[in-house]
Amino acid sequence: MLARARTFTIEGLQARAVAVEVDIRSGLPGFTIVGLAGTAVREARERVQAAILNSGLQFPAKRITVNLAPGDLPKAGPGLDLALACAVLAASEQIPKERLESHALLGELSLNGSVKPCRGTLAVAQAAREAGLDKLVVAPQRAREASLVEGLGVVAARSLRSAVRILSGNKGDAFAARMQHDGQHIGGEPALHGVQRSGEPDLRDVRGQTQAVRALIVAAAGAHNLLLSGPPGTGKTMLAQRLPAILPPLVSGEAIEVTRIQSIMGESPCEELISHRPFRSPHHSITAAGLVGGASRGWVGEVVLAHNGVLFLDELSEFSRTALEALRQPLEDGRVAIVRARHSAVYPSRLMLVAATNPCPCGYAGEAERCRCSEAELARHRRKLSGPLLDRIDLLAQLERPTATAMQAQPAIDSRRAREYVLQARERQAARYRDEGIAVNAQLDVSLLGRHIALDESAQAMLRRVQERGVLSARGQQRLLRVARTLADLQGVPDTSARHLAEALSWRPEMATESRRAA
Amino acid sequence: MSTDTLDVHTLHWRDPAYPQLLRELHGAPRQLYVSGSPERLRTLLSNGTVAIVGAKRASDYGMETARSLARDLAASGVTVLGALAEGIAAAAHMGALEGGGRTVTVMPGGLDTCCYPASRRGLYERICTQGCALAELPPGTQPRRFSDPTRRRIVAGVARLVLVVEAADRPNALFEARIAQELARPVAAVPGRVCSPLAAGPHALLAEGARLVQSAQDALDALYGVGSTHQHQVASSNALDRQLRLVLEEVGAGRDTVTKLVAAGRRARDTVVALAELELAGALVRGDGGRYLCRAQQ
Repeated sequence: MLARARTFTIEGLQARAVAVEVDIRSGLPGFTIVGLAGTAVREARERVQAAILNSGLQFPAKRITVNLAPGDLPKAGPGLDLALACAVLAASEQIPKERLESHALLGELSLNGSVKPCRGTLAVAQAAREAGLDKLVVAPQRAREASLVEGLGVVAARSLRSAVRILSGNKGDAFAARMQHDGQHIGGEPALHGVQRSGEPDLRDVRGQTQAVRALIVAAAGAHNLLLSGPPGTGKTMLAQRLPAILPPLVSGEAIEVTRIQSIMGESPCEELISHRPFRSPHHSITAAGLVGGASRGWVGEVVLAHNGVLFLDELSEFSRTALEALRQPLEDGRVAIVRARHSAVYPSRLMLVAATNPCPCGYAGEAERCRCSEAELARHRRKLSGPLLDRIDLLAQLERPTATAMQAQPAIDSRRAREYVLQARERQAARYRDEGIAVNAQLDVSLLGRHIALDESAQAMLRRVQERGVLSARGQQRLLRVARTLADLQGVPDTSARHLAEALSWRPEMATESRRAA
Repeated sequence: MSTDTLDVHTLHWRDPAYPQLLRELHGAPRQLYVSGSPERLRTLLSNGTVAIVGAKRASDYGMETARSLARDLAASGVTVLGALAEGIAAAAHMGALEGGGRTVTVMPGGLDTCCYPASRRGLYERICTQGCALAELPPGTQPRRFSDPTRRRIVAGVARLVLVVEAADRPNALFEARIAQELARPVAAVPGRVCSPLAAGPHALLAEGARLVQSAQDALDALYGVGSTHQHQVASSNALDRQLRLVLEEVGAGRDTVTKLVAAGRRARDTVVALAELELAGALVRGDGGRYLCRAQQ
């Protein structure tokens, strides 16, 4: 007897359709799985057999052959268990076959027959709807997540027995109601507000460093890349940790993308649609593959996990050179194309890079009496941070040792007010770029720059002087203009003036390293 | 740099192009190797010659001072001598190239051997095209441990004035100055901050009676006598307005970061804009840790 069940396997960030075909015929009892099954899938044999028997059903003592189609797609993970068990039951005529064609099944089986949640349920639900399936049967814990997708019926099955009931035409188990995002359904207009999560560190705690705080707000307002440089203990990491609290929440499309990635990577339970931006801070021992992905088929790196959020690299100069070089493409294009011998994939990585570094290996460069670095050490340190990577930094904030008065002074701003500024600036950008398909100044490309950045006369004169000076590359000039545009947005004025350009210029890393380069 | 692109001439002791001042040095080399034509060397050494020497690991202040002094001296027709190392000497060469290219360097090995440090190769090639390079050792000789003091004695021997910018108070750091004193030639020094160890050397020389140098004019006075030669004015392309000049003065007075300027009562946004303007005008540069430095123009 033959039966077929529908399920999905996760590859990278994609859910791929898999048909589980089961053939049962007379012969020596056996259970064979073919079709590029990974280790977890091959082990499903034991789980499926035990789960069927412990659910009070019959496991046929015949020759069972399972084929996982398409045969050239590697299948991984335990999510195929439920489909496999149901296909065996249908082939042995314990349940009717017709509903197996319209129901996708996703779940790992326990030996006692209960269904366990699987990673990547949201991606599977999206793929199931695109494949035109009516229903998706998942574990109750993940049913809320699957129901984010419009136009797909989600049925929860607590156990294999529940799944048998569903496939026989009965109702599924109960699960909590549809998830909501900022009080609205998915697909509605995003609400660009949101509240600070409790327990997040606040900018109130920062004393002094008014320039760096300003840089942080500008970076958040335009999603610009930020490099914090300063002696040890001046608050570089502290500032970076306060960035998520002043970033605007995810808008709906972004929220789906982020939730989908988080769901696949199993980083969070995904009980709700994620509304806060991801903040990834990998340790500096990370490899290039860990950062951009590509270690094995379907493996995604930190840049993808930081998609629509922040990638924070603390102690930037300690990262390996290859890892830093690998960041170039994701930073420039907002996507990362992984090509390996037997697989290739393109992942989204539209992120905001925030990095922190000491000005030299010992940390005290500029304080001639304290810095103990040799000329060669300094040169190596500068080389690591120079060139192409520095070119992609929009704002370089140089922190200094705070004075005693600064330590006692009132904080310049708290996170709530900073967030208001950021949100206002983002709203102005969103309104301006409504028809362009972008959201923030950081995404402006060359053609959009010309269309959307109106420089007044003094600013044009200043830009000419910048060009004559010849310190900035073409890319550096573009980044300068984007930051100047953000400064104008923060101020709420339509035109970019020479003042905005001058302030943006003071953040440019090239200006800070110019004397060094010449020397 | 390979030999075929380099035009190496040998200068014997008796050769009229052999530097006159070097003959006075006890134990001067019997022969010298010079890149480029001996006539150019003679022209370069015919007028005043100043050796700008100092620490390899100099501060931003020292680097910037050496550079601007060298630029103004070269523009005033003085040849700047140095040993093409890191720090002060390299800054002096660079300044002299900016000021017209009157500069002579002395190499530790042969003229064609890879210059040390290798990162200075570009600078070396520019010096060879615009100025001159000297060496005591024949082409093909690798520099040795003893090459550094031997070349520094040549730097001091060719110079009419030795100017120390930043150096520790150690015999090795003040080597050129001591040779100049033995030859009874003037020594000058640029003062620094009392608390900086790199100011100890110049201050010790000043205490012994060295000339105090604050600008290129002071060095010209030490060379030719007070009032006999005037510094060539490097034309300032754009006069700064009053507001910017005030900010520039404050930076010069030690308030060299935005925070310090704001603490002194300036408005943050205006200060940032003014600093960017000054940077764009070339009046300020940024050193380590984001500190602003005045780039002496007038």
